[in-house]
Amino acid sequence: MKKEWIVRIKVLIISAVFVSIANFISTWKAGSVVYPWQAAPGLALMFVMIISGCLLQDLFKYFKIQLPSILFISLITILASIPGFSPIAELVRVEFGKIGLLPLCTPILAYAGISIGKDLDAFKKQGIAIVCVALCTFFGTYVGSVLIAQIMLKVTGVI
Amino acid sequence: MKNFFKDWKVHLLCLALTVAAELIGVHKFQFGSMISFSLFPMLYALIFGIILACLKVIPKSMMETASPYIGICVMFLTAKMAADIGPNLSAIISAGLPLLLQELGNLGTIFFSLPIAVFVFKMGRAAVGCCFSISREGSLAIIGDMYGLDSEEGQGVMGGYITGTLLGTLFNGLIAALFCGLGIFHPYALAMAAGTGSASMMASALAPVVNTYPEMAEELSGFAAASQVLTTADGLYMGLFVALPLTNWLYKKLKEKRKIPKPKEKM
Repeated sequence: MKKEWIVRIKVLIISAVFVSIANFISTWKAGSVVYPWQAAPGLALMFVMIISGCLLQDLFKYFKIQLPSILFISLITILASIPGFSPIAELVRVEFGKIGLLPLCTPILAYAGISIGKDLDAFKKQGIAIVCVALCTFFGTYVGSVLIAQIMLKVTGVI
Repeated sequence: MKNFFKDWKVHLLCLALTVAAELIGVHKFQFGSMISFSLFPMLYALIFGIILACLKVIPKSMMETASPYIGICVMFLTAKMAADIGPNLSAIISAGLPLLLQELGNLGTIFFSLPIAVFVFKMGRAAVGCCFSISREGSLAIIGDMYGLDSEEGQGVMGGYITGTLLGTLFNGLIAALFCGLGIFHPYALAMAAGTGSASMMASALAPVVNTYPEMAEELSGFAAASQVLTTADGLYMGLFVALPLTNWLYKKLKEKRKIPKPKEKM
């Protein structure tokens, strides 16, 4: 087995455990506790989808087509979650539902926090600029949306 | 195989940061009726890391070991977000052309914020991460997978994420109030624009519209919710296939205009 795969599987299993712990604390604080073993089926399902996605990516790579893994993982998960099409859609909905979006992000940003140190100077230098540009992006998104919405509603005669 | 457990310190630190961050929990800050923001555990985890780095307690080798793990951990986020798309597929198809085309409105921002980033702030590749979307969880997944969160693009999207968390609701509420006050836009259009993919930003952008047109409150939240569901569902793919390539293309054009020597490739 390639080293890349060994590291991938190891880190996936470790971070799945971390996610289940983060999810446990988060749901416990929110008042409806989900114990780590209750989140395990959902995480195991995610694990299977991630591994299948990565295998598919490797298959495409073998035929010299380079595409990001996010594409394959999301495609497999979408197909698995379409009600009426996928036999496990209901299972996915229920089991994934036990795992919150926010506790899922905590270990990711913890790893990011550990590694950010090596780029801290660049980050600090651009800090103010990033804040200003982010606000410009929010502004532009709103204006773009409202303009097109207005035109579309006019054209289709809704208003 | 003897190197298999060599990185235990990185994982232990990650666990410690995660547990500490989650134990602090979500804190909501409210100032008056308009200004509010919530701090989430993931933000503390990042900030703890920054503090530890400033104190110089994390050796450089550990930072480099942790770097590829971000991209692997992000895969869970990808799976979680993609699972929201399947159940909403029929809603997207039946939403009709207006709502679908309205999604394209979210792209308009690239032509507005990217030139500002490149020409006014002289930003590098961080501008791409910051400008292609409003930097919510899905954007973290896309950039984390494509470039890694510790790349320049990653700094852009993480900076955008922090900004959005702290100022997003307040800022969107102000913009919405401003546009509502202009009186040239139909309340339906204002409601649709409120659905940008972040629940708290939607709530704060919808509030001034509903306040101004209380008799339409139900229809307005319907339009906002439909737009919100669509953005949540197609955001991942719009970001990956339309917004990010478009941003990269425009970035290249703008850089040529600025005529600076190309920075050396990092990847």
